[in-house]
Amino acid sequence: MPAKRVRVLILASLGLLAVAIAAWLLLPRLLPYNYHGFAMEPTKPVADFTLEGPNGKPVKLSDFRDKLTVLYFGYTYCPDVCPTTLAELAHGLKGLGRKADKVQVVMVTVDPERDTPEMLAKYVANFDPHFIGLSGTPDQIAAAATPLGIYYQKHDGTAATGYLVDHTASVAVIDQNGYLRLVFPFGTSGEEIASDLAHLLK
Amino acid sequence: MAAEQTIEPGNRIASRWRWQWLLLVFPALLVMGVVAFATLKPVKVLPRVRPAPSFILTDQTGQRLTNEDLRGQTVLYTFGYTGCGAACDPLNAIMRSVQDDAARYATDGLPITLVTMFFDPVRDTPEAMQAYAKSVGVDPARWHLATGEPARLKQTIGGGFEVYYTPQSDGGFTFEPAAVLVDPLGIIRGEYRAQAQTLDTKIVLRQLDVLAQEMRNNTAAGRLAYEAAHLFLCYAQ
Repeated sequence: MPAKRVRVLILASLGLLAVAIAAWLLLPRLLPYNYHGFAMEPTKPVADFTLEGPNGKPVKLSDFRDKLTVLYFGYTYCPDVCPTTLAELAHGLKGLGRKADKVQVVMVTVDPERDTPEMLAKYVANFDPHFIGLSGTPDQIAAAATPLGIYYQKHDGTAATGYLVDHTASVAVIDQNGYLRLVFPFGTSGEEIASDLAHLLK
Repeated sequence: MAAEQTIEPGNRIASRWRWQWLLLVFPALLVMGVVAFATLKPVKVLPRVRPAPSFILTDQTGQRLTNEDLRGQTVLYTFGYTGCGAACDPLNAIMRSVQDDAARYATDGLPITLVTMFFDPVRDTPEAMQAYAKSVGVDPARWHLATGEPARLKQTIGGGFEVYYTPQSDGGFTFEPAAVLVDPLGIIRGEYRAQAQTLDTKIVLRQLDVLAQEMRNNTAAGRLAYEAAHLFLCYAQ
């Protein structure tokens, strides 16, 4: 093959390679990332609220400002929905690797009557030792849950379960500036959660 | 081969550049497309402002009404009290315009639902709400009137919908008339307030069309365009 032709070929392949690299670098930046959760476009931070921490200490939402706060409302007697969601969250955090340090999962009880701070702490630790459980007075819990669209209502269960609490099973993600960024509907997988959280942590 | 070797040097340079131009066309088109999308805003959306607050209320028929009952439907909310009089006329006029054309704003085959929340459970009893409903032309199949426990109501209407109201000594309330649009996922997509001069039937109806269109088209194929529209803040006016 003549040397000139080889040169053209080499140039062409180099050019192709450059375009491929440019496209590979640019595409993810140009095309919007498709969140699995519902992406919010908030104009201001979530109104702060105060709940009760593991040792009865007051804990504010704004105390978690240095991390992504993943907020879930549930209760320890919850038969199916809560364990599933918390297990997916724990699975998702594992998938994040070292980035998981920048995420705090918080479960707020919607059943303060039965969930003592000790029970909550033990319950959430079953899923991940870094999870935090928060309780509070019924007024405090309503003040936290209502603006986030979390509905909850006691209703009769069986003699074995005692009463049950119907509740909205979505998960809210609040960023380091206190803005609500994502809502995961019930059934979002750990992988999907990890992918969205990783994107928020970029 | 012999023919190739006779090509003049100038031509060879030209052919090499043609190659590189071709290879640049793809990313250039991509960048132009994105810039065009961001500036021309061919797809309009309503922002996903924040989740609509939760509530457990009682409606004009004495039935329980919760935010979870309304999931899956587009809902337009207004706020008031049964003794509101002429102050609520603009709100009720907007609601009636939407009620008259409810099927047009359907999402997933479900017509739009209307909810008016009342501030005062003591005066705004189911009977008072029913009488009020009759006087303003409520179709009970489409339009719920509801109230609830005062402390929770304040959290929902004031804290969640950000519509503030204060009781007056005469049993009435001072409040800023407002309507709030919530999508089938329970997310606030539009807030129409007297002070911001957005409490206008034309604006509400126009945005209802935008939302209905997005809910219909934001599926597999259209999703990228709609998510891009959210990203580039292509908000409908």
